[in-house]
Amino acid sequence: MQEQVREWLEQGKVDIFLGYKKIQGHPLPHCFTKDNLDETDDLIAGKARYSLEKMATKIAAEHPELKIGLLVRDCNQRALNVLYVWNQLKPDNIETLSVNCCPSKLKEHGDCSYLEPEKAAPLKMMIGIDNNMDVKTAEEFSQEDRYNRWMYELQKCLKCYGCRDICPVCFCKECSLEHKDLIATGSIPPEIPIFHLVRAVHMGGRCIDCGLCEDACPVDISLRLLYRKVNDIVSDVFDYKTGTSADQSPFNMLGEEVTLEPKPI
Amino acid sequence: MDFKIIPSTCSYCGTGCGVLFQVMDGRLIDTLPMKTHPVNEGKLCIKGWNLHEHVVSDKRLTSPMLKINGQLQEASWDDAIQTTADKLKAIIEAHGPDSVGVLASAKITNEENYLVQKFARAVIGTNNVDHCARL
Repeated sequence: MQEQVREWLEQGKVDIFLGYKKIQGHPLPHCFTKDNLDETDDLIAGKARYSLEKMATKIAAEHPELKIGLLVRDCNQRALNVLYVWNQLKPDNIETLSVNCCPSKLKEHGDCSYLEPEKAAPLKMMIGIDNNMDVKTAEEFSQEDRYNRWMYELQKCLKCYGCRDICPVCFCKECSLEHKDLIATGSIPPEIPIFHLVRAVHMGGRCIDCGLCEDACPVDISLRLLYRKVNDIVSDVFDYKTGTSADQSPFNMLGEEVTLEPKPI
Repeated sequence: MDFKIIPSTCSYCGTGCGVLFQVMDGRLIDTLPMKTHPVNEGKLCIKGWNLHEHVVSDKRLTSPMLKINGQLQEASWDDAIQTTADKLKAIIEAHGPDSVGVLASAKITNEENYLVQKFARAVIGTNNVDHCARL
């Protein structure tokens, strides 16, 4: 892995490479360059996941012609695909080096340990939504119970905007969550459930199920489950698979044509 | 092109969350929570998430200000410190040391806070020391 990156930088295949390096005992994202080739010996895969593709998006916005190399796991790759179809990154300028994925229900062997949420505490199990639940189990509660459970989760919100700030596929210049006519300001929790549902709707056809939002949530709201449900609808109704489909999602409202087309039954 | 990730500690309150600053071409552009930090474990509050903003804010004071004839004017550190010392001395002489109170800060280090209380107790001679976390 280290040699490969060194080679890429030497040959000019990439101008910079975003990977991880141990700094002060912490595996932190690091930008490797050809000016400091020996540093590539310190490249590690890192157990902690950061959104390297979001950093790449920020760099590409200011240096559009720069060739950027990235260390990717499956979630990073899905995020990259979404960023490609929404023209935030040019596939020609991105070079990826794949590493083992996180251990999860999908993949048992992996390096990174931040994908599976911790076991929920008894109170959360009793009156809230367990982060480990799947969509089907979460829908088995009666409507009233389900509503109360979700409201319990959402009223914990501190409005830190962490879920949006860490999201690799959130790149809009103006965010609906900060629009004062849509979301009232000045109180915590924010207007629920509308605050979270606005974000959830925007995640339809965008969310690549990386789980970073849930990782970053200081009050442990089961956001991932919520966005999974939204994406299930996009998949069931429009046959659009976020992160793997090659086109923009059916919710593309930029442009003249109406592109909403339900899948044939 | 220069892109760096700098680990640091949030300066807003005494919790001490680990943050990562993203620096592009010498400009602070964003803050991220540090995932492996024992204090915040990859989470931040809204102030922490926007930590970079007060550093690069246009409204940030970059030099001391002295009020001369009712108008705030930029001054050198020497002038500012001398003026403050003169005024403090005059007040202490006229009204006694307990007429002065010192407010310490969560945004400075333990050692600096130690010096602040030492300054209050040993130099000014008052126990009127408090901290912004209690205001």
